[in-house]
Amino acid sequence: MAPASDVALTVKDLKTFIYTNNRCNKAVNGVSFSIRRGRTLCVVGESGCGKSVTAASIMQLLPTLSRIEAGEITYHSDRGDIRIDLLPRNGRKMRAIRGQDIAMIFQDPMTALNPVYTIGFQIMEMLRYHTRLGWRARYRKAVELLRSMGIPLPEQRVDEYPHMYSGGMRQRAMIAMAMSCNPKLLIADEPTTALDVTIQAQIFDLMETLKREHGTAVMLITHDMGVVAELADEVAVMYMGSIVEAGTVDEVLRTPRHPYTRALLESIPILGRGKAQEIHAIPGQTPNPYKRPPGCQFADRCRYRIARCETMPEETQLSGTHRVMCWRHADEEVHLDAAE
Amino acid sequence: MLTYIIRRLLTLIPMALVISFLVYGGLELTPGDAVSHMIPPEMAGTLPPERLDALRDSLGLNDPFIVRYGIWLSGLLQGNFGYSLTAGVPIRQIVLDRLPATLEMAAAALVFSTLFGLILGTISALTRGTTADHTLTVVGMIGVSIPEFFFGLVAILVFALNLGWLPVGGRMLPGYETFFDRLPHLVMPALVLSIMMTAGVMRYTRSSMLDALSKEFVKTARSKGMPEWRVNLLHGLRVALTPVIVLISFRLPILIGGSVIIEEVFQWPGIGSEFIAAVRSQDYPLVMMIALLSVIAVLLASLIVDILTALIDPRVRLGE
Repeated sequence: MAPASDVALTVKDLKTFIYTNNRCNKAVNGVSFSIRRGRTLCVVGESGCGKSVTAASIMQLLPTLSRIEAGEITYHSDRGDIRIDLLPRNGRKMRAIRGQDIAMIFQDPMTALNPVYTIGFQIMEMLRYHTRLGWRARYRKAVELLRSMGIPLPEQRVDEYPHMYSGGMRQRAMIAMAMSCNPKLLIADEPTTALDVTIQAQIFDLMETLKREHGTAVMLITHDMGVVAELADEVAVMYMGSIVEAGTVDEVLRTPRHPYTRALLESIPILGRGKAQEIHAIPGQTPNPYKRPPGCQFADRCRYRIARCETMPEETQLSGTHRVMCWRHADEEVHLDAAE
Repeated sequence: MLTYIIRRLLTLIPMALVISFLVYGGLELTPGDAVSHMIPPEMAGTLPPERLDALRDSLGLNDPFIVRYGIWLSGLLQGNFGYSLTAGVPIRQIVLDRLPATLEMAAAALVFSTLFGLILGTISALTRGTTADHTLTVVGMIGVSIPEFFFGLVAILVFALNLGWLPVGGRMLPGYETFFDRLPHLVMPALVLSIMMTAGVMRYTRSSMLDALSKEFVKTARSKGMPEWRVNLLHGLRVALTPVIVLISFRLPILIGGSVIIEEVFQWPGIGSEFIAAVRSQDYPLVMMIALLSVIAVLLASLIVDILTALIDPRVRLGE
């Protein structure tokens, strides 16, 4: 564990359940991690594994019929620790944290900006609630922010509507908005999934720069292992509501100990190896969230399944940072097989 | 914007011409002509056909259809709408007499239904799934599905006959013609007329707002730490407004055409009740002229819809 002063946010044994038609989806089922200032935590996993719900829990932006059932979310602010999970959802204290301390950017910049207001208006809205700047100062700040995000002609662009921006520019504007109050933590929920690859690189460059200059902690949600390798300091691999493996980027990518992590890594085609390369898709499908297997959630799709997997594996600490939830994490047979 | 409006107004001209042609054609198809209406039937039998024909000649009734249409149209453009067959007075006079009453009631109903429809619809959307929402939904369904005349009759029975709070009908009493004297007369018809419109606006606002609130940008707005009222009204309602404005704008023709049923139920001396009277007495020129005015009102309303949509939604560009 890093010294507390360095940590921006700690999540401990978080459980967030979503209720639909009298059924309960344990979308996040006991997740723990911490994010340090100036570092990037990448949360990876398939769709529906609970990545976004985890992020929404931190911001308390969950849908109405869902709730944080257990666990702690602690934001280590300059004014002392704040238990986010205990704050009323849309209360004044929670609203003060949103935007000011923890800001978020979303997957699709096409839909995340309000089409009927100018970009400038939407940035100024953020400043209005978290600064004491007057209208003129907010306007100037909005222009400055757009300029620093590399948007050409910001004086003119600030008065334009989102539909007049390209996809990449919209995401820059989103980042400008998110960074406008210098948040301690930036949550980016698949920020480049809707953009093409060249724009993706520019957006990540921008985020890297901001992280370096402002010491912002970044929680980056993605399903792209390439992005993880590129940007992450720490990685958490999620599957069906649990973090099955977490550690530094080296530990997780070089010595994956969970069969799911490895399956994810093996399922990526490598550029330059041509058509002949073998890509191992993960067999089967994720289990129905309403009819979960009792034990390891990945057992049904796992090559190394043993009888013991019928019970939920415990979390094992492999090193100071590396932890895994698998009964066979130390089994040499499993890892030799993978090395071939 | 201005060039677009001018262009749209210009395209209205051929459309209005086509409609006026249809109206005149319709008049032509009706039995009898001006002469047969000018001369009482019992006298017409005694007159020699040559004299009737001479009379037709002098009135231009024997000219070809197109020529007569041209003359009629130029009269129309100069404000000569023709004459009512039953009253014998210029139609222009009838319309000008009746229009203020219709405007008064329709405008009151439009303003009321817009205001309350928007407020109730917003409340309904924001309290979705609660008792308040269910109640409003049921009330809205009743408002939309029960015909206006029924509400009108019930209202007369309760508020005018039983309670005696409001007059049964009419627009004013002779000698009591100030605004405050007329107000009690206006309340019931305007409210009854607006019941259905309010219910419609409410249901529409509700669904449009729920749609807007489910959008990603509402989450963005909330993630900025803004208070709920601002998220809901400035981001939710503002975006939900476009389709609602369209719905309301398409009701504007009622300002000209009036509500036939409500004016009849409340004996409101507007265009709508005049229309009914004209149909009953087979006063074709008057029927056709009111129809023409209503159609032009609809055309203008669709132009207003386009302009309003462009004003409230920056993504809509006029003129392309």
